Amino acid sequence: MLDLQMFERLLSIALARGGDYADIFCERRRSTSFRLQDGRIHESGFGITQGVGVRVIVGQSAGYAHSDDLSSDALERAAKIASLIAHEKNAGSVSVRVKQQAVTPLYDPNRNTHAHSSEYVSLLARADVAARAFDARIVAVNVTLSDELQDVWIAASDGRFVHDHRPLVTLGVQAVSKSGNERGSGYVGDGGRTSIAFYGGRTPESIAHEAARIAMTNLEAIPAPAGEMEMVVGSGGGGVLLHEAVGHGLESDFNRQGVSLYSGRVGERVASELVTIFDDGNLPDERGSLSVDDEGTPGSHNVLVERGILRGYMQDHLNATLMGTTSNGHGRRQSFRVLPQPRMCNTYMPDGEATVEEIIASTKRGIYAKSFAGGQVEISRGDFVFMVAEGYLIEDGKVTAPVRNATIVGNGPDVMTKVVAVGNDGCLANRHYTCGKGGQYVPVGVGMPTVKISTVTVGGSNVG
Amino acid sequence: MSDNAQYLELAQQVVSDALEAGATQCEVGITISNRFSAEARDTTITKVEQSKGKSMQVRVFVDGRRASLSTSDFQRAELGDALERLVDSAQYVAHDQHAGLPDSEAADLTEDLDLFSAEIQGWDPQAKLDETLRLEKVIREVDARIQNSNGAHVSDAVTTTLLANSNGFAGRYDTTRASRSVSPVALDGEAKRTGAYGTAGRHLHELESVDNVASKAVKRTVELFGARKPNTMRVPVIFERDVASSVLGDIFTALSGANVAVGNSWAADRMGERIGSPLATIIDDGRLRGALGSSPFDGEGVPTRRTVVFDRGVLQSFILDSYYGRRLGMPSTANSTGGGIGPNNFYLENGEKPLEEIIAGTKRGVLVLDTIGFATEYATGTYSRGARGFFIEDGVLAYPIEEFTIAGTFAEMLSGIDGVANDLRFDSGIVSPSFRVAEMTVSGN
Repeated sequence: MLDLQMFERLLSIALARGGDYADIFCERRRSTSFRLQDGRIHESGFGITQGVGVRVIVGQSAGYAHSDDLSSDALERAAKIASLIAHEKNAGSVSVRVKQQAVTPLYDPNRNTHAHSSEYVSLLARADVAARAFDARIVAVNVTLSDELQDVWIAASDGRFVHDHRPLVTLGVQAVSKSGNERGSGYVGDGGRTSIAFYGGRTPESIAHEAARIAMTNLEAIPAPAGEMEMVVGSGGGGVLLHEAVGHGLESDFNRQGVSLYSGRVGERVASELVTIFDDGNLPDERGSLSVDDEGTPGSHNVLVERGILRGYMQDHLNATLMGTTSNGHGRRQSFRVLPQPRMCNTYMPDGEATVEEIIASTKRGIYAKSFAGGQVEISRGDFVFMVAEGYLIEDGKVTAPVRNATIVGNGPDVMTKVVAVGNDGCLANRHYTCGKGGQYVPVGVGMPTVKISTVTVGGSNVG
Repeated sequence: MSDNAQYLELAQQVVSDALEAGATQCEVGITISNRFSAEARDTTITKVEQSKGKSMQVRVFVDGRRASLSTSDFQRAELGDALERLVDSAQYVAHDQHAGLPDSEAADLTEDLDLFSAEIQGWDPQAKLDETLRLEKVIREVDARIQNSNGAHVSDAVTTTLLANSNGFAGRYDTTRASRSVSPVALDGEAKRTGAYGTAGRHLHELESVDNVASKAVKRTVELFGARKPNTMRVPVIFERDVASSVLGDIFTALSGANVAVGNSWAADRMGERIGSPLATIIDDGRLRGALGSSPFDGEGVPTRRTVVFDRGVLQSFILDSYYGRRLGMPSTANSTGGGIGPNNFYLENGEKPLEEIIAGTKRGVLVLDTIGFATEYATGTYSRGARGFFIEDGVLAYPIEEFTIAGTFAEMLSGIDGVANDLRFDSGIVSPSFRVAEMTVSGN
């Protein structure tokens, strides 16, 4: 969108009052979406987001300004505003040169255009028909499809200049079941950093059937029991547990500032020795994968916890520099309008040795959380809450009745010491997770094998 | 007041371009915003962000088929291409007899709703930085146990909202908003505890003072020191103001026409029924002078109004834009956000007693100060949250508690309201005074 000389000029203006580092984030994002409701295509939508953000770092401080006006006047004004964070009166004129660096693309660099509207519409209609055909008690189906192409150009005062071209598709099906006065609902989404060709293998019908099956299961579900019990977390979607209970606490900003309970604890035991956690920004097609992050650093495979020992944090440029290390590819941002933060990419746990059957059979009284609807964590103490999307009771080693509206409350580090079995069935979850932090939303991946936790608190309405 | 007059002409121009491209109706909304925000940690300003941003929302209708565009690229050629794609894509959308612009209704643009403050527009950036640093200083002065923080924040925004449509509507209003907040961190034994408090308003004089914000934030951080896990029980539960507001937020979503029309709402078939207690009067009012949720017209140009949603427990109205209003056979309540449905000032009517009196009148119960978790089943109306607060014994706060959940249904909660405090403040679009629910499930040990 801008030529190389413009990036260099903006960097020079940004550092004119001094500063340790400056970068320019230029973005153009085009999205197409369709929504189906009541068996009909309800609306089509297009989005265009474009603009440039200029950041100047001085020590632990950042000055930031952005512009959606790409005229040189407006961009230079933004660079001047960002520069005000620095105060060196006699910084003198700075001349920054950048050089384009090759990026090994993780996704198809030739995916440059959107499909024709008729192709999107046909995928939505197929999902709708399949969900309704699953059971006559499926009374409402909502289907959404979005297809996004994001181009980013990042130039930094250390001479880097990179371009990344990132596709992202998501097809989501929400099914609502009804029988008498009872209602149930199920949501399943899938896609990734690919194109709608993905839905040739992972068909809209298969996504719709999963959503309808969960809606039907929840229709028959009994109220969740309340109190302390064992918990078996299902493979794939159970990875939300890692994301909330541990992942956020290992983002470097919270640790550099000393507000995370994991601050200063690298090398210490923080979990049961069965627990190993990776975050990998390089997995093919995953939502959290990035050829380069939003500061131009390539994604990498990071060991966060190894056999219960804390190995490292997820770093962006600012926090890594202040902590005396280098970024490991976790600097991410929602758009050019906001500053980058250290964020997760794809967080998962590798396989253990137990079979799912052994894990279930060893559980006397517990809850089997196959997937979560969402969760939240409080960083300083690690207290978390998860809502179970599909859950069952386990009684005397057998999976029995489905339960609805179960909320799991606990404490991240505490739960991680209570991991007593890790299954051999690990996988990444369906690709539809989005993570929120400080008002910024970014796509992420999660995954896990089946895991057993010796005790958690289940909040249901059934006091037994 | 900022001069953004050229943007109303642009909006009108895009409306006529869309008609030219084949749309039968069109609506264009433009938002221009000047934002400033600062963050401080201890004695250092750690972030300063300052920008002018713009965005345009275009909705077209082609014979009852709708398509929408959101863009920050205002160049004429780009807009022309986008409009053509938009009109083309509409042919793949189903015809919907209810889709379309609202019927014309003249908005009173002359009434001064007191939404703009020249003082905020002219607020000196250095004064904002000083204030941000002072928040960090005061939290440490108030209580020596405060060793760290998640940062102090001061921000403001000056926003111009413009709307034009092919029925001839053209309107504009200017608003200001300022806020200050701080989030201290303290060590409770080995464990860290975080608290947060903030204030927001359309005028600086409406904001709570720096000292007030800092000391309330500190109180929230240290008051739960030594909290334990309560036993599982069914007792009265008092929702403190900010938590009560989040409950109101869930009630709002279930009453939104978009959920009611598709049956994704526990309230869908219950219009006219007595659901709540006589203390449950809930209002949506877009015309409260100076309030953060007020505006002269909504996102599709419908003049705002005061809507009684629950009248002493009886469900009187859903929350509607013109589309869901037509679908449900009711008039719009002026809650369009230009494509979605949102609150004006949605609130539970204030009570008469201070919160302390409600606590004093509770023999055995729980005061909830904070909840985490956000998934709500709107179809079934079940509510379940992780929570922190106090156990109440004989009318006094006996000891702090945490790691428990509270659960029930919204209908039970509304009908169980047996006390409403007098601490309502309009610092957000959805607000509530503290209230007590006669009995709920608290799950702990």
